[in-house]
Amino acid sequence: MNERLKFLKIALYVIVAVILVRLFQIQIIQKGEWVAKAEAQHTLENTIKAKRGQIYMMDGSEAVAVVMNEQVYTVIVDPMTAKEEEIKDAIFNDDLKDNLTTEFDKVFEDKARRYFIVAKNVSRKNAKKIQEKNPTGVWLQERTKRVYPEGPLAARLLGFVNEDGEGQYGVEGSLNEELSGKDGMLKTVADVNNVALSIGKDNVKIPAVDGKNVVLTIDRNIQAKAEEIVKDAMEETGKDHASALVMNPRNGEIMAMVDLPGYDPADYGNVSDASVYVNGVVNDPYEPASVCKAFTFAAGIEEGVMSADTTYYNQDTIYIDGWPISNASKNGDAVRTMQYALNWSLNVGSIQVLKWLGGDENNINEKGRKILYDYYVNKFGLGRETGIELFEAEGLINDPVEGYGRDSLYANMTFGQNMLVTMIQVASGYSAMVNGGEYYTPTVVRGYMENGKLIEKEKAGPVRRAISEETSEEMREMLYGTRDTGWYGEDPDGYRIGGKTGSAQVIRDGAYVMDESVATYVGFGGATGELPEYLVMVRIWKDGELGDAMKEAEPMFSEISDYLIDYLKIKPGD
Amino acid sequence: MRRHRGDRIIVAMTLGLLLAGLIIIYAIGPMRANFLNAMYGGNISENHFFVRQLINVILSIAAFIVAYKIPYEKVKKFGKWVFALGIVLSIGLLVLAKMGSSLAKCELGACRWINIGSFGSLQPAEFLKFGLLIYLAQLISSRKAEGTLNKSDFWLPAGVASIVALALVIVIQKDLGTGVVIIAIILATIFAGGVEIKKFVLVLALILVGGVGVIVTSPHRMERVKTFLNGDDADSYHIENAMIAIGTGGLTGVGVGNSVQATGYLPESINDSVFAVMGETFGFIGLGTVVVVFMILLTRILRVAELGADDEQKLIATGVFAWIAVQMAVNVMAMTGLVPLTGITLPLLSYGGTSMMFVTIALGLTYQLSCYTKREKDLNQKKFSNSHLRVGRLKAENIAQRRTAGRTRK
Repeated sequence: MNERLKFLKIALYVIVAVILVRLFQIQIIQKGEWVAKAEAQHTLENTIKAKRGQIYMMDGSEAVAVVMNEQVYTVIVDPMTAKEEEIKDAIFNDDLKDNLTTEFDKVFEDKARRYFIVAKNVSRKNAKKIQEKNPTGVWLQERTKRVYPEGPLAARLLGFVNEDGEGQYGVEGSLNEELSGKDGMLKTVADVNNVALSIGKDNVKIPAVDGKNVVLTIDRNIQAKAEEIVKDAMEETGKDHASALVMNPRNGEIMAMVDLPGYDPADYGNVSDASVYVNGVVNDPYEPASVCKAFTFAAGIEEGVMSADTTYYNQDTIYIDGWPISNASKNGDAVRTMQYALNWSLNVGSIQVLKWLGGDENNINEKGRKILYDYYVNKFGLGRETGIELFEAEGLINDPVEGYGRDSLYANMTFGQNMLVTMIQVASGYSAMVNGGEYYTPTVVRGYMENGKLIEKEKAGPVRRAISEETSEEMREMLYGTRDTGWYGEDPDGYRIGGKTGSAQVIRDGAYVMDESVATYVGFGGATGELPEYLVMVRIWKDGELGDAMKEAEPMFSEISDYLIDYLKIKPGD
Repeated sequence: MRRHRGDRIIVAMTLGLLLAGLIIIYAIGPMRANFLNAMYGGNISENHFFVRQLINVILSIAAFIVAYKIPYEKVKKFGKWVFALGIVLSIGLLVLAKMGSSLAKCELGACRWINIGSFGSLQPAEFLKFGLLIYLAQLISSRKAEGTLNKSDFWLPAGVASIVALALVIVIQKDLGTGVVIIAIILATIFAGGVEIKKFVLVLALILVGGVGVIVTSPHRMERVKTFLNGDDADSYHIENAMIAIGTGGLTGVGVGNSVQATGYLPESINDSVFAVMGETFGFIGLGTVVVVFMILLTRILRVAELGADDEQKLIATGVFAWIAVQMAVNVMAMTGLVPLTGITLPLLSYGGTSMMFVTIALGLTYQLSCYTKREKDLNQKKFSNSHLRVGRLKAENIAQRRTAGRTRK
């Protein structure tokens, strides 16, 4: 028998040896692997949420919050551990009536489901009440929600924050990084239920960097007034789209940016058409038409080929590359001054400037096209991004040399057709044209609120000289004159207001249509004898309807202009 | 044979393992309580498991002493009845379970325990295991004496008893772990008892075929084998986390109370997986020590088998050896990913009452048997006698005769 027992003994030694070798393998040789697996499993990485910055607008010289944060809570129940009576008392009561996402009977239907959301967007006050009752198997998850004390004011400019906490569109989108800050992290060893343990020696805590509170250059009152004026104009004219842009031509600061119809950012999902999220002022390139004549004239003056008094022989229709181009207002064939051409918005007049730029009285040439392109794109910043702190579209200015039919294309460009530019590009170019000739990058950010104090961003100077001071002065005078022509209103004494209309034809399916146009007006004003203090651009249209710049756009400008003189307390000049 | 001092190493190793088990339960009991409270909303106190285990250990030590003190001659007479009791309890359990009585304690469709109120629960399989061990030892030794060991006089009753026990445990109670231990006891005792190798191999083959049959016909076991081979599902999660625990322990372990795996990642942390938690806590040194302590204990048990006073005692020790060796090996090898999980506890270390108590009873009995062993010297002398040194043998005999002169012996 003992021989066989010896066999069992050997079997024991073999098994023990196998076990010891295996333990050596797992615990000594493979230790690193298993530690890595353990860490992956045990380490709990909690994000410490950075607080999203608030957004402020100016109210005169004070910054006021227009986009704020509110803590709301999601209430979650673990039906396995929760007690029915406690849940009924603490959660299914009148306080939370509007926040409940389920019925009481459903909560305990399936106990294996350990995570059941029963209420959302619970206020801090009501969340505190739940905490005080301290029901078993209930936890509260904090979430930050954006609130808008000014309601839908400047919705398209501001954008919104989606459910994931990401800024979308507008300032929320373009400045998302600044506003959201940087989340911190808490790394701990946790038990299987993700409860942090004190065992871990390598617990890490990186604090969150809160987002910046952005102060916009937008003045809340001007914004509100401009929105009101635009809305009224839409109602009066029956148009369904309208925009307004108010800026300081002396430094590029935007005072108001209106694009209607808007939406309620607190309920951003409730829109019928996602296009209402897009801020058309910066993101909708269009053909602004005759307002661009001023750019062509400024190029002519700067290049020394014309002045306001220079004359040309005006015809109602001319042919370029075989295409007829007509004036909108038929004044008959006659010798006219350039001031007259701008006043009556004669297309043939602005085409004449292009011819002169090429050094030719009768024909358009490459030299002229190149010079016009240089003024449009390089000097006045049309057809390229302005650099404003918003998502913006580039637009399109066609090349002066490459391509077919450049002469007729550039002839059309002299009066703002056959090109795509945004309102912000036109307004910024106009600012340079009338402010003494310097181009400023438009901006909507004034500074940041830190500890309740406005820390102003360093003011950027002009980025380039577009035209000389003299040319700028002559353009102001020409535009003062243009505003006074064909307009029967009267601007207040002691102020000089200039402006230009634009009724743009619209391309549909690749061809201009005769039954629709966008009405635009660009104007500026200030005390007599002073540089302009404000520049306003408005546009209004409805798909499939003809527009009239003088009847539809100009009145919006006049109203805003009157308001600005009053609100900005501009003292009349002599 | 005269009674002499028992093998104290058996006592020392047993107490050492019990103590190690207590320490580990002390360290991870609060985590277990915390985990169960969080999962099922209970209110188990931090000390709950330690206190219960302390009681288990005290009761087990008492059981060891009782098994050591009750004269072996009396135990022999109980043997058959313990086995019979196991059968009765198993059938009773089956009936209770069918009736849906709360006295039958079932988990995941397997009814293995009979509730006995505040005393806890009884596991009939343990009675079957222990009873079968003693019954087989008696049967083999008596048939051997009669010279009918390889005849149907032996095979019939041994086969019937074995099949009844295995059927009740594996098929009815779905307790593969205890079943494996019972198989080990059967194989070890008939092997050591001296059945013909041909017949032993036949039994082995029958058990293998039966085992495959049981696995293939039971979807739940087939699943276990599949997951062991493929590595998915709950069992592989269990093994993976056992190995994570063992692996992170490294050479010296993370120290008492620093186990993270025991905070809920590792299933059955205080029961079946206690070996893994010990690995995390005490490292390779700790586990190596535990394995070596088991080995020492097992070699001492085997020594009792080798030096046993008679075949019956030798076979009882052999059965106890097989029981503890296989239970330890199957548990440890499952925790280290060498064999599939069978749901078996680590003897003396795992949390739990009944199984621990039966192991200490078996060890107490073995300790008692160690008081009746022949001296190793005698054994060596016998060997010696087979050698060419006849003179030495004669000399020894003379000495023995001289020493016993004037006394009546035997």
